[in-house]
Amino acid sequence: MRAERENLFGLLEPLLSHVEKPSRYLDHEWGANERQDGPFHVCVVYADAYEVGQPNLGIAILYECVNEQDGMSCERAYLPWTDMSALMRARHVPLLSLETASPLASFDVIGFTLAHELIFTNVLETLDLAGIAFRTDERDEDDPFVFGGGPSAWNCEPIAPALDAVLLGDGEEGLVEMCACVRDAREDGVSRDEILLRLSRIPGVYVPSLYEIVVDESSTRWGYAVPRKGTGAPEVILKRCIPDLSATEPVPQRIVPYLGIVQDREAVEVLRGCARGCRFCQAGMTYRPVRERPADQVVEAGERGLAQSGHDELSLTSLSTTDHSQCAGILNRLNGDLAPRGVRVSIPSQRLDSFGVDMADAVAGSRKSSLTFAPEAGTQRLRDVINKNVADADLDTAARNAFEHGWRKLKLYFMMGLPTETDDDITAIVESADRVLQIGREVVGRGRRSKVQVSLSVAVFVPKCHTPFQWAGQLDPEEVRRRQSLLLHVPRDMDIRIAYHESTTSTVEGALSKMGRAGFELVRTAWRLGCRFDAWTSEFRYDLWARAATEVGIDLADVATEPFSLDARLPWDHTSPGVSKDFLRREWRRAVDCVTTPDCTRSTCVGCGVCPALGVSNVIAGERV
Amino acid sequence: MTPGTFRLRVMYRKDDRLAFLGHIELINTINRCVRRAQLPFRVGNGFARRMSVQFSQALPVGASSSCEYYDLALTERLDPSVALSLLQGATPPALAPVRASYVTETQGALEAWLTRARWEVELVGSTCTPQDLTSRVAEVSSAGSITYLRGEKEKTLNLREVLVGIFEVRLTDSGCAFVLDTRACPSGSLRPAVLVAATGLSCDSVRVRRTGQWHEAEDGSLVEPM
Repeated sequence: MRAERENLFGLLEPLLSHVEKPSRYLDHEWGANERQDGPFHVCVVYADAYEVGQPNLGIAILYECVNEQDGMSCERAYLPWTDMSALMRARHVPLLSLETASPLASFDVIGFTLAHELIFTNVLETLDLAGIAFRTDERDEDDPFVFGGGPSAWNCEPIAPALDAVLLGDGEEGLVEMCACVRDAREDGVSRDEILLRLSRIPGVYVPSLYEIVVDESSTRWGYAVPRKGTGAPEVILKRCIPDLSATEPVPQRIVPYLGIVQDREAVEVLRGCARGCRFCQAGMTYRPVRERPADQVVEAGERGLAQSGHDELSLTSLSTTDHSQCAGILNRLNGDLAPRGVRVSIPSQRLDSFGVDMADAVAGSRKSSLTFAPEAGTQRLRDVINKNVADADLDTAARNAFEHGWRKLKLYFMMGLPTETDDDITAIVESADRVLQIGREVVGRGRRSKVQVSLSVAVFVPKCHTPFQWAGQLDPEEVRRRQSLLLHVPRDMDIRIAYHESTTSTVEGALSKMGRAGFELVRTAWRLGCRFDAWTSEFRYDLWARAATEVGIDLADVATEPFSLDARLPWDHTSPGVSKDFLRREWRRAVDCVTTPDCTRSTCVGCGVCPALGVSNVIAGERV
Repeated sequence: MTPGTFRLRVMYRKDDRLAFLGHIELINTINRCVRRAQLPFRVGNGFARRMSVQFSQALPVGASSSCEYYDLALTERLDPSVALSLLQGATPPALAPVRASYVTETQGALEAWLTRARWEVELVGSTCTPQDLTSRVAEVSSAGSITYLRGEKEKTLNLREVLVGIFEVRLTDSGCAFVLDTRACPSGSLRPAVLVAATGLSCDSVRVRRTGQWHEAEDGSLVEPM
């Protein structure tokens, strides 16, 4: 039953002095929308701690989009940390929104951002604290509608039974349409089932309960989803896409947090999408096409955002900011205006070439602590497999350029367990680092005083849906450990440091990425056993996940390492980012043959299928270099 | 302060739920308020190029205040009333600036210069009488020192230095309250909650509000901050 809408901050306030970071629960931040008149009430939720969820741009965009609508109000909620949730349960305080401290269960719509697979147990924790039934079919007629969306919506099956509807792709327009649909249908007095049917008619909306899972000889053991007879739900749901990013508000984040958050700065999304075509990268496939904002809009937005927020750092965010065709001009203009005010401009990643270093230099000023590149693989062969169009010479030139510009510490990101990887590829990681170190010493000089240092970070590759590697099995955890050991035992200089990720988190992530709807029982069992905040190293409990897997009759490593046939129907085939499965198959074959595919924003169309499927095209403001 | 800069002292409140801001969070928030107000603040020349601003001594998390201060270095001598108005328009109401004026350069760093504080302390949900409270505080005081845990560290304060006295002990609707005067010393400062804990009196929570801050001159007289 729908909870009563009332301000319950008075129940939360006595708990504040007993928790580690009370500022997580305060609200009243500068820029928060305190006018929550409704009458239709939406709450967007990032199911992690405030400091992780608040900087999320997706949440910020949707918050503003809904609040702009007449008759709709939008609030935020984050998952209380474990100390607060324990107190709330002990005192029977339900999960509250931030702006009005209303029970989540009193809202018309609750929208979760599914940022990654390891957030799924937190989604259940959120629902449990809110007093909302986990499964859609257990909810009452007037219970809130629970929506999902975001980067992990493409294979949301392991959490799908908890979601009334899922929006695929850009949310700016889609979420508003979904909310309007629920509002209008409620006014019409129709049943919850009828509202779900109406939601399924909205382009880009997937209503999991209208689909059944079929396992047959054409599928993997996890089956595939087909519309239930008579529902009229689409067989394949094509994502929503904003064709022109410049038509949207470039400064979505207006709320200035009190608490130090993970990306504590003003952010302007300078472009959406990336066409470089890295074959492991889900975002590179699912956010296509590339849509740049024009330089004038970015500069104006940056200045305006800083004036509104008071931040002392401006981040130009995107999947690949230095690919923006007007990047150099944007940085020059912003730096000229902002540097005298002690405001720093930052870009989240650097291209692995001289241009990338030049851009990093343009934003670094005198702060040159370390510079990060992502070669991803140690050998040219493996970089060709993953379509990372970077040669050894590019890395060498970029490194030389970086040392000449004054950097002394370089960080190099690699992955382990990529398809076709051999021991030679592992040892080549250290060789690459050694080459970079020697270049640094050539430029800067030898000896401890030169302070030249190379840090390697080696993550475990997790195959993701809608990528050319979606058919690959993850590397067996035992083999991961052997290769990690191999990596550590390659003789290396003392100034090369290696950090690697635990294979256990990747195993859980890999298993959830492969599983279809059957994954829900695993997630639910893991939650019941106590799994929360799985993306936090301090909180992750592999023993509990392994126990949960045993209880539901699977083996996590067995699931994660299973390759799929290229012909198999996959658990996520009913969702489509517009990239055709044929293109992905072709890319897989080219990967195996070590053949690279160019970036369509710099050459011709590569036939991924997005533009014709969505009726859109790349929007490039200038000319890319 | 660097020559050519002007030291603007701002008095502000810390109220309502923002009493739960930690000191670092408060500093970051005020920094952003100053930037939003577009005051001509001075930026330091250090590695991080930070705004030149000093704050009065940190409040305990959860304590409110009617008299917090910060000193902001400006590169132009803006009319204080204009500066105050700009700050008020850029600051959350619960941290509202209430006064602003320039101060001389001869005063030391604000945190060290403000050595005396007055607090209103209420033991919410306590059933103790004013007499109980007065006698318990007297017992604690007569011991001469107080030892408590700050995080995992044990700290000892000389009460003859840091405890000036308690006054106006009275019953309230929700418990028992008193006024506490403290002195900041190089060895540390007495937090009201530490004194209450030392009395052994039970209560649901301790409500604390700082109501005054002064500089204590060598002759013992109190100098108003502005």
